[in-house]
Amino acid sequence: MTVESTIESNKTPEPANDEVGVEQQDFNILVWMSQQGVFVFTALLLLFAAIFIDGFASVDNITDVFNRAAPIGIVAVGMTFVVISANYLDLSVVAQVATSAVLLIAVSNSSNMLLGMAFGVLVAIVYGVVNGVAVGVFRANAVIVTLSTTFIGLGVLRWQSGGSIYFGDPDGVIASFGKTEIGPFPLAMLVLIVVTLLMHFVLTSTTFGFMVKSFGSNREATRLAGVNTPLLVIGAFTVSAMGALLGGWVLAAFSNTAVSSMSDGFDFEALAAIIVGGTSVFGGKGSVLRTLLGVVFVSALTNIMVLSGFGFGYQQMAIGALIVLAVSVDALARKVGGS
Amino acid sequence: MTQNTTLDLGNEKPGLAGQIKTTFARRTEGRAVVLLIVVSIWALIWESAVFTAYEVTLGRLALIGLTAVGLTAVILMGELDLSIASILAVSGVVMASFDNVFLGIVVALAIGLVIGAVNAFFVVVVGINSFIATLGMLFFLRGMAFVISDEEPVLIENKEFALDFGKPLVGEFTPRVLIFILTFIAIQVFVTRVRVGREFYAVGGNREAARDAGIPVRRRVFTGFMISGFVAAGAGIIVTLQLTAADPTAGGNALLTSFAAAIVGGILLTGGRGSVLGTLLGTASLAILQVGMTFNGTEADVQNIVIGLVLFIAVITDPNSIRAVLGSTRTLLQARTASST
Amino acid sequence: MIERLGNTATGGYVSESSAVDVQPVHGEAAVISAHGLVKRFGGAVAVDDIDLAVAPGEIHGLVGENGAGKSTLMRMLAGILTPDEGMVRVGGEELQAGSTKSAIEAGISLVHQELSLVPEMTVAENINLGFTPTRAGFIDRGVQRRVAREALEEINVSVDLEEPVSRLSVALRQFVEIARAVARKPRILILDEPTATLTPAETEYLLKMLERLAKRGMAIIYISHRIPEIFAICHSVTVLRDGKHVDTVDIHDTTPDALVSLMVGRELEADLATRREDAEFGDVRLSATGIRAAGVNDVDVEVRAGQIVGLGGLVGAGRSEFVRATIGADPRTGGEVTVTTDGSVHRITSYQSAIAAGVAYIPEERRTDGLALSMSVSDNITLPNRQKMSSRYILQFRRIAQFAKGLADDTGLRPPEIERNAGDFSGGNQQKVVLAKWLGREPSVIILDEPTRGVDVGAKAEIHRLVRALAGNGTAVLVVSSDLPELLELSDVIHVVRDGRIVGTLSGADADEQSVMSLASGEAAGSVA
Repeated sequence: MTVESTIESNKTPEPANDEVGVEQQDFNILVWMSQQGVFVFTALLLLFAAIFIDGFASVDNITDVFNRAAPIGIVAVGMTFVVISANYLDLSVVAQVATSAVLLIAVSNSSNMLLGMAFGVLVAIVYGVVNGVAVGVFRANAVIVTLSTTFIGLGVLRWQSGGSIYFGDPDGVIASFGKTEIGPFPLAMLVLIVVTLLMHFVLTSTTFGFMVKSFGSNREATRLAGVNTPLLVIGAFTVSAMGALLGGWVLAAFSNTAVSSMSDGFDFEALAAIIVGGTSVFGGKGSVLRTLLGVVFVSALTNIMVLSGFGFGYQQMAIGALIVLAVSVDALARKVGGS
Repeated sequence: MTQNTTLDLGNEKPGLAGQIKTTFARRTEGRAVVLLIVVSIWALIWESAVFTAYEVTLGRLALIGLTAVGLTAVILMGELDLSIASILAVSGVVMASFDNVFLGIVVALAIGLVIGAVNAFFVVVVGINSFIATLGMLFFLRGMAFVISDEEPVLIENKEFALDFGKPLVGEFTPRVLIFILTFIAIQVFVTRVRVGREFYAVGGNREAARDAGIPVRRRVFTGFMISGFVAAGAGIIVTLQLTAADPTAGGNALLTSFAAAIVGGILLTGGRGSVLGTLLGTASLAILQVGMTFNGTEADVQNIVIGLVLFIAVITDPNSIRAVLGSTRTLLQARTASST
Repeated sequence: MIERLGNTATGGYVSESSAVDVQPVHGEAAVISAHGLVKRFGGAVAVDDIDLAVAPGEIHGLVGENGAGKSTLMRMLAGILTPDEGMVRVGGEELQAGSTKSAIEAGISLVHQELSLVPEMTVAENINLGFTPTRAGFIDRGVQRRVAREALEEINVSVDLEEPVSRLSVALRQFVEIARAVARKPRILILDEPTATLTPAETEYLLKMLERLAKRGMAIIYISHRIPEIFAICHSVTVLRDGKHVDTVDIHDTTPDALVSLMVGRELEADLATRREDAEFGDVRLSATGIRAAGVNDVDVEVRAGQIVGLGGLVGAGRSEFVRATIGADPRTGGEVTVTTDGSVHRITSYQSAIAAGVAYIPEERRTDGLALSMSVSDNITLPNRQKMSSRYILQFRRIAQFAKGLADDTGLRPPEIERNAGDFSGGNQQKVVLAKWLGREPSVIILDEPTRGVDVGAKAEIHRLVRALAGNGTAVLVVSSDLPELLELSDVIHVVRDGRIVGTLSGADADEQSVMSLASGEAAGSVA
């Protein structure tokens, strides 16, 4: 590496060496959309739905939206840490959510709930460490690693459960948790809000969250600041696993049943919520609160489609397109807007 | 250091032993060969039916191999195509929706090409990571397969043709095996003998150098994704003909097995390294493994666990990872020393 | 003149056709000529109105310090960069600007400074890359091998055509790269520092080869830092400085010393008086002995409290590699490193142990290794100081704001807005942020690699002031710099590194630009100290 080549072949030359030292940035619609768009779009979507979609603005429907949004939201909030650390996503949340739900109900039925929760925590730690070591220590591609752990995890779950549905005790703690509502808010929504606030605090105000962000922004600079970067990646995947664990519990409580296929689609709905919320798949930029907003957007969209008679297929198409569009806007905004 | 007369530039000395060593060192299929030997021995001892009922094994090989070989073309350029699983489902459903089988096949293949081009557009023109672009496409197309099929399997009108398709055509080979063999040969020849295909290695190995040498990088990426899309669509058609119905949920496992086959086969995920032959060997070992497990009554879920483990181990044991792990472990374990001083 | 060169430390380039008997082909029309080329990057002018003409059979040297604009000029000639002004003519015809293809068709071949081969492709394929011969779309392997074989024969190098390039030695890759340029049967061959990674014997081989090619009528433009090489093969030489054309001279009309002073070009600055001739240094803070790593061969360096030690030498000499291996940022294969902070001795076994022992490292690549550009200045400052800026893992924002503000003021960041993204600042101010984040740790040893590269004059002076102030407070400072005046201005003692070894040590008082350059380029031998 030589002086001349690095300076001269630089495709994006450094800002001019003027005395002021700061580049003026012009307003750009793409930059604006990638940063602030979600607020406006969410508001517009909700407004549109409230006016034009019959039954959207009813208390029952809103409670239903919250009930469905809560587990996905909790998963998305945890996965946000993986995305911010520039490791794309954690596909294995699908397996993790189902495992935690099945463990909770199955073990509660056979022995007791706390044991089921303890097993769940153990499994979540294993997921976090296995994914984290493969990505952080072996530097393997996160998409492929979590694709393989998804299959392994779901395989183990189906093999052990035989794909059967576990029904919880209708009068048990889990069922009553799932049924409790405060006004239109199910308890699950409260859990989501508490988790979001907590994780927001972790991301913005603790050294761990700070390092995750800076690792996503520039992993070499972070390493050179003396950060134990492999451990950091393991940490990010463990947070994601904890989100999936809690998401699984909430999901199990809502329906008071658990089955290995109950979390199909959680991977991309969570990813869509994260990306639509404005967290960048290129890493280093993002917020848990925005992910919450993304969850509202994605859940409302899904709900509107259900109410309008669009089936599962259309919902998947919409969310797939949403992911590609949101990332495109981010990518194009980066091209025009510099950093 | 010898001076003046000859210049020792570190070139390897010839000689038979040296030549054999060199040949081995040049190959990238090592892991696939090892896995193939291990599973073959396992199958010979415990499930020799894998080899006696070879038409079953070959059928499985063709099934896994087709998408894997197409995917290889993309990975050689350092890109990923996760959408293959859904292309498989969509093409099957589209094909089955036509009354005329041949028209259906043509339209389905065309759709595969178009999807490949759309993937490439997002990757090279918009500038998104191929994992994310094709992941979005994976979800989008899965939804599309559901929409087209109305969430039900679509039966093929022309059952005769579908049934004929399952019968041996040349010797013991069914059309599906023949198609796989032809596809393998075509792509193998393409990336080793055809200029455009060979330049995939340059695009994946050193993109800057490829550009400087005047290779149209964008066009190569388009070609790669279109090959992958086309082949995946072909796989969807074959699966549909075999089942005489199109299943909108088809392809879930194809994603896992294709990546496992390619990565075991020595295709470097960052591009530029590997061979289609490696993918074939990887595919063969997975096919023997799957068929062997099926024969000895292993549940499908356990089979998934095994294939998942193969992929996991393969992805963390590629040469880059092995190099990374040395440095990373040092950093990981030194944390304590650092804080104690 | 020539005799003196024959006795140099590198073994001398004894060529059968040394400069004496080959006359530059004066009078013959230039095969390639550049007219008033200008190239700007952002606000900086990299190449400023440069003319150049080279005749067939001529080997034309191009010299200049780092950043003089040599590579930019060559990249414009090869069509990789589009000039902002001016044009290039080949054989009298104007070349289409910024088109690699038309440059290649006109017969210009560039051997890149960095290797641009595809690692997993074979030698034959790499030599043909971009113009692979085909028959009906299929690669014509016969022709491909023949082209490769002929090119390799032309440069007289023997290598297995089917060997993947990844399995070749670095030197052999360099020769394959040259074969690739030659294979296009160019009329003009441009080589950008081809010998940077070669041993003396390999270098000699390469130089002879170039002379042979020139005799057959090829025009060769040869860029090198190594003055003896220029005198061994070039017929004429052009000197660039700060993007400007300084002089073009016949090789007979100049001497190595004259050439070096043309390159350096500055009068000695009066500022040198500030150098502490007899500063009292403290105890040894950083001690590195027998360091070995990729590109580093048994280097010892000691830095005392309050001392500024400079590492001079050419790019690629192994200075950065030495520094990174010393502090564990890259693995080292041998050697011992200790850091003494507050009387306690720390053995450095990993990068983290170095940081914990009080080392601060300011890397060469500011934008890729030094800063998280999408994060704010205060975030960047917090990163290495995160323990100090938090209580029980919780960040203390008021403390951070105060701390970052203080450091921004200390380093003279402009504008002093710590909530702005680091990426928004100019090069000089970004470097101040990097300095600020490490100054916050009050390091006992600070290592700066090219601290003012790409930095404007004002910021440069401020950074120098900061570095001197640090040493004044008793910090041990190790500076790697390719900027000679900077090295001379800052250093109390200068070690000159060449080929991964320290080839000479000069005290700050004895050193001048010529003595450092001579050692660095291998023109002079031995150690002064």
